[in-house]
Amino acid sequence: MSGKNMEEKVEQATDRKNISLPMSRVRLIMKSSPDVSCINQDALFLTTKATELFVQHLALSSYKNGSGKETNTLSYSDLANAAEESETFQFLTDILPKKILAREYLKSLEEMEKVDDNL
Amino acid sequence: MDGDSSTTDASQLGITGEYMAGSHFVLAQAPEDEGDEGLDDHEDGNGSKDNLREQDIYLPIANVARIMKNAIPQTGKIAKDAKECVQECVSEFISFITSEASERCHQEKRKTINGEDILFAMSTLGFDMYVEPLKLYLQKFREAMKGEKGINTVTVTEGMGEELTDETFTNPLPAGIITADGQQQNVMVYTTSYQQVR
Repeated sequence: MSGKNMEEKVEQATDRKNISLPMSRVRLIMKSSPDVSCINQDALFLTTKATELFVQHLALSSYKNGSGKETNTLSYSDLANAAEESETFQFLTDILPKKILAREYLKSLEEMEKVDDNL
Repeated sequence: MDGDSSTTDASQLGITGEYMAGSHFVLAQAPEDEGDEGLDDHEDGNGSKDNLREQDIYLPIANVARIMKNAIPQTGKIAKDAKECVQECVSEFISFITSEASERCHQEKRKTINGEDILFAMSTLGFDMYVEPLKLYLQKFREAMKGEKGINTVTVTEGMGEELTDETFTNPLPAGIITADGQQQNVMVYTTSYQQVR
C-alpha cells in the first residue's frame, strides 16, 4: 500500500468520522491485555482506524500473493502464506499455522525419531 | 460524547459458537455495527451468560468481511474460513499494538495510553506505513468530534504529558478557561485544538 493511495482514501472519505468498526468492541479487546488501565480517546480512535488499515493490508497482500496461482478467491492458505513470508505479518504465524496433511506430519515425526536414535 | 447502551450482552458480541466450550452458549451473529458506539466505561457484567474468555473477543465478522471485500479487486471472492481467520488476526493485531503501547506507558510511569503511544507502537512493530495516514484520519476525527460538541466545549487533552508544559499555553486561549477561584495561581488551560503528535 503506497502512501499516495492512503492519501487518496483519506480525501475520498465522506463519512465525517469515517470508521466502520465499533470502537467499543476494539476497546474491550484492548482492555483484555494485561496491565492496561486507561485508554484515551485518540488512542482508541487510532487503534480502530489502524485495524481497518490492517484488514485491508492483510487481505490485499494475501490475495495478490495467492492470485498468482490462478485463483480469484482469498483462502486461508493465502493468509497463512502471507504470515510466513512477510515480515510485517510474522506475528500472526502462531495463529495461522499452515495446514499440512497428516501423513506428511507423521513422516516428519518418524524422521525426527531416527535422528534421536542416532544421537 | 453520548454513551449509548454499550453491548455487554455476550450473545451480541459476535462470538461464534465454534470458539466457545460447551453447547449452552447461544450463537448469535452481532448486529452490524457502524461507526462509533460510544466510549462509556462499562464493566462487563457476566450476568446469565458464561464467562467470556478474553481471547474470544472479536470484531463483528460482517464489518471485517466488508472491509476485506472492499480492499480486494471487485471480481475477487473470500472463503468463509478466511473471513473468520482475519477476524482472529484482527484481535491479535489489536493486542499486539496495545501491549507494546502499554509497555511504553509503564516505562514512562503513565497510566493512560495516548495516541502517541499507539503511533509509536506501530512504528516499532513494523506498521510504520500506517502512521502518516492515521495522523490525517485523527485530525478529521477530531474536527468531527469538535463539531458535534458545540462551541463552548472544553476537552481535557489527555496524553499531553502528566504535567502541562509551557507549550500548551502558546495557543490562543479559547473561551473555556478555568481558573481557581478568580486568582491566577494555577491556571489550567483546557484546549480543544489538536496538538501535533511528535
